Amino acid sequence: MRPRGLEIITVALDSRGAEGAGEWIRAANPEHPSLIDVEHRVAALYHMVNVPTGVWIDEAGRIVRPPEVAFVDNRWIEYTKTDMTRYVAGLRDWVARGAASPFALGKGEIRRRLSLPTADHALAAANFRLGQYLHAQGHWEDAIPYFKRAQALRPESWCYKRQAWALSDAEKYYETNFKKEVEALAGEPYYAPLDLPQESA
Amino acid sequence: MSEATVIYDERLTVVQNASCDGEDLLLSPEDLTRVSGWELTPEGVCREGLCVPVPPGQERFNLSRLARLLDQPVVASSEHRVWFFGERPQGLASRLASLTAPDFTLPDLDGRLFSLSQFRGRKVFLVTWASW
Repeated sequence: MRPRGLEIITVALDSRGAEGAGEWIRAANPEHPSLIDVEHRVAALYHMVNVPTGVWIDEAGRIVRPPEVAFVDNRWIEYTKTDMTRYVAGLRDWVARGAASPFALGKGEIRRRLSLPTADHALAAANFRLGQYLHAQGHWEDAIPYFKRAQALRPESWCYKRQAWALSDAEKYYETNFKKEVEALAGEPYYAPLDLPQESA
Repeated sequence: MSEATVIYDERLTVVQNASCDGEDLLLSPEDLTRVSGWELTPEGVCREGLCVPVPPGQERFNLSRLARLLDQPVVASSEHRVWFFGERPQGLASRLASLTAPDFTLPDLDGRLFSLSQFRGRKVFLVTWASW
């Protein structure tokens, strides 16, 4: 879609950096900027809780769709519970029609959908960052209490959970794993449901 | 008094003669400014036009206490002598609510730096992923 004026920017939220994300990026060999964010800065700036999360940004640098689940196909429909082909069709519609596209949301609607950080969220982010710093310095075991505090302060963040589990033995140090946590949702959605415009008749 | 690593406004500074008490980090006036940009003046401790009154004659300034006063999150590892000062939730929230996409600069696999702002004038689909 690049020739039509869409720039795709991917950001790997990966504390292990190139060691974690590198082989995936090399295999995909993308033409678009494929960035690595070891400190999950983009997740903090945009208040994201999971991956993949997409944000649509117009030519003036304004958000026209706030963070939401952003798969480009239905491989994970069990988790998304949404037909993601409609999301991709919406992206194409926005690229073609800009603000006239029903997928480009008005300011009021975006603000209604935006989740804004609270004091606990900011403290969670600081704990995650100190944990990440200690881990990067080789103090991986000492990082764990900070990761746990981030998870406790912001339990809805799968980024804080899954990233920390991936940096050590989740069973041993966190007494949990992804499968157990998803089961504990007991039918609650893993991703917040996408809210796309109704298909026109 | 000993060495401390301080991350403030995303900038890492090592100071040689910090003292601490739990999460409290006490710095000399010179180190305070070097680490955080705050300056001790007759009006109080000031930065970017904002002044917070402080009792006069302090030899060492408690940066953690100031952070708490400003609702800025502080997390410390006394064992490794590292202090992380995070962003105020009010700042994060008002920037996001302005609907201007927050800017960032990150490297790609080859270490080339990209900023979101360099793509002004084009539509951007920003998408995160992870290997975990």
